[in-house]
Amino acid sequence: MSDLGSLALLLALAVAALGAGAGAFAGWRERADWSRVAQRCVLLVFALASLAMLALFHAFATHDYSLEYVASHSARSMALQFRLAALWGGQAGSLLLWLWMLTAYGAAAVGASRRTSARLVPWVCTMLLANAAFFLVLLNFVTNPFERLAPGDVLSDGNGLNPLLQHPVMMIHPLMLYTGFVGFVVPFSFAFAAMATGELGSAWLRATRRWTLVPWFFLSIGILLGGRWAYEVLGWGGYWAWDPVENASFMPWLAATAYLHSVMIQEKRDMLKTWNLVLIGLTYSLCLFGTFLTRSGVVQSVHSFTNSGWFGYIFLAYVFAAAGLYFSVLLFRRKALRTENRLESVLSRESSFVLNNWAFMSVLGVVFCGTLFPVFSEWASGKQIMLGPVYFNRVSGPIFLFLLLLTGVGPLIAWRRASPTSLRRQFLWPLAAGLGTAAALALVLGGRAGFYSLALWSLGAFVTGTVVQEYVRAIRVRTRKGDENAFQALGALLGRNPQRYGGYIVHLGVVLIVIGIGGAGFNEERLENVRVGETIRMNGYRLEYLTARPLPQQHYGGAVARLALFEDDRPLAVMAPEKRMYWLEQQPASIPSIHSTLREDLYVILTSLEPDGSATVKIYRNPLVNWIWIGGATFVLGAVVLLWPHPTTERAGA
Amino acid sequence: MSKGIQIAIGALLVATLLGWYASSNLEEPASFVYYQTLDEFHAAGAVSGPARVHGYVAPGSIERDVPARVVRFRVQNDPPHAGGSAANALPVVYASLETPDLFKDGAEVVVEGELGPGAFHATNVLAKCPSKFESKARGLL
Repeated sequence: MSDLGSLALLLALAVAALGAGAGAFAGWRERADWSRVAQRCVLLVFALASLAMLALFHAFATHDYSLEYVASHSARSMALQFRLAALWGGQAGSLLLWLWMLTAYGAAAVGASRRTSARLVPWVCTMLLANAAFFLVLLNFVTNPFERLAPGDVLSDGNGLNPLLQHPVMMIHPLMLYTGFVGFVVPFSFAFAAMATGELGSAWLRATRRWTLVPWFFLSIGILLGGRWAYEVLGWGGYWAWDPVENASFMPWLAATAYLHSVMIQEKRDMLKTWNLVLIGLTYSLCLFGTFLTRSGVVQSVHSFTNSGWFGYIFLAYVFAAAGLYFSVLLFRRKALRTENRLESVLSRESSFVLNNWAFMSVLGVVFCGTLFPVFSEWASGKQIMLGPVYFNRVSGPIFLFLLLLTGVGPLIAWRRASPTSLRRQFLWPLAAGLGTAAALALVLGGRAGFYSLALWSLGAFVTGTVVQEYVRAIRVRTRKGDENAFQALGALLGRNPQRYGGYIVHLGVVLIVIGIGGAGFNEERLENVRVGETIRMNGYRLEYLTARPLPQQHYGGAVARLALFEDDRPLAVMAPEKRMYWLEQQPASIPSIHSTLREDLYVILTSLEPDGSATVKIYRNPLVNWIWIGGATFVLGAVVLLWPHPTTERAGA
Repeated sequence: MSKGIQIAIGALLVATLLGWYASSNLEEPASFVYYQTLDEFHAAGAVSGPARVHGYVAPGSIERDVPARVVRFRVQNDPPHAGGSAANALPVVYASLETPDLFKDGAEVVVEGELGPGAFHATNVLAKCPSKFESKARGLL
């Protein structure tokens, strides 16, 4: 089975190279027959990549420890689901997953648009297959997942997987993140094809918008799940640390989100064409660059693979080649992309979108510079200087507030030019909601609330006001017209204009996430050393240390402490933080115990069982964290509305 | 004046303000940190002021003093599993019982704090795993 896998990879490389050539020839000479060859090559590479994936899954499932990759990323004692998820637990397998997704996206995109954009398709195939070929070169010649151990080195059991990865969320999170990262290859290829052929009309725009939404959707879920995983597994009480790896996934998200906003200006006003193409190029380049950054060990990260230098160089060369080609074609076509339309007024929807893009780009710049600062500083002074979360929060904080403000302002301003009367009519209620919330919060919380919590929550109320007003007005228009009730009207709105009304749900999700983040201003943490029977008091809670027991022996051992949690003498729960030791991997892990309510989380970590029999525990009180996950679910719901197949886009075939 | 220029001026103004704001905060130690290896730290002389020192936990040196709420250990420049010696090790006093999971004999650590009389007084200890996993499975992108 594994020989079949390596054979499939080798064949796939040949087919990808052939198809890329066929596509370029078909595009250049406008040959429909060669275009069909290129399309078939995309499907064939997808089939071969699927075969390789199956072969590797099979090797993990059947404990084939003669494969180096399987031996070093799984063990007999691991449950089946974790053994299968171990496929993306290391470098070679992640690259294979990347390849498979790339070809799956490619097959879907080519299949969906071969009729509507016949002239674009050959170039799309070329771009997709060229990208696939790069990964196939790596998989075949640099890090082959099917590489066998020398017969003398084969053992009956594997080395196991990093225990931090043996968690249900970790089975899905990388998958989502990859589905996000890799998917941006499709808009990238369509944009490239549009520029290569000079067909800069609306076909590529519809295709790229839709094909950007899909990976953006998955990337968003991936980022959220990553935060959730960090919170539940890493045991430091937080969900986001501005780690290079987190930043690497956040940067393409920022670029893609900026694009999803500015593309609306192009649809409505035929402006910002060049800028939108820049954003598409930037998004995919940042995906590749982020992968390079975290995989090459250039920037120290908790997550990074430590690797031989030249894998990094090959990857960096690839990033520059892809970005270089794309942006040179863009430069070549810049005249054809000019537009006659100009911004008519600073007070217009267009200019609020332009500001939104500036803000997204500023955050991107801040994150980019902060992430790469160790590299810059090493060039300049020979020392690696790292910027901590303080830098990122301080510098990007104000921009995020501004973005949140724009989230509320944008939908209220008319296209082209807003009149003073319309502004008054539009802003009255949302502003009242925002200012009312600010006043109420200041009154209730007084000096206890920090500036950021106040600002985030007030702006959140303002945005909510905007969204509610938009919905209420639109529903009222429909119900007044006649025979629809409010629910039918709501359904009709979401069906007729998912882009707008789904987008508002996404905004609501953002507001809920922001409410949760604002809670961090009230976080409390304590480190306590207790003996059995002693209690810890914290803000109305009482924690009584009951016992510590050894964990039943399994893939890991260690100890679990039990603490009874009371709130004003009312028993709430028994908390059971664990201190695990993964035998095989020789790695300890602290698994927190979390008592979670809508108001706040109480988060307990067993830091250490001391030699004298006492326990050292760390306790965090994290208000409102749950709203981040609720907001995440709302965000996803809104994105589903955005993505729901829509009659007009279906007809456009995009 | 065209609207594009008006917006560009506004954006430039905001960018300048942000740049000023950003640079004005960078003097705070928490946002601006780098580390030296233990040898570099020794070579620079007994420097006062905040420092981040990189090294490895000398095997057998960890001592958890629960009543005093401190952890004492020594840091050496080279990894013990690669034959590094503890001869020039730096004694560290960490005023907390909260040590990271990966903190153990031989672990790669970065200690943050200040050199005091007789020992380095750490306010924070970061640890990395010294084992075989360093070269392998970190499958989170």
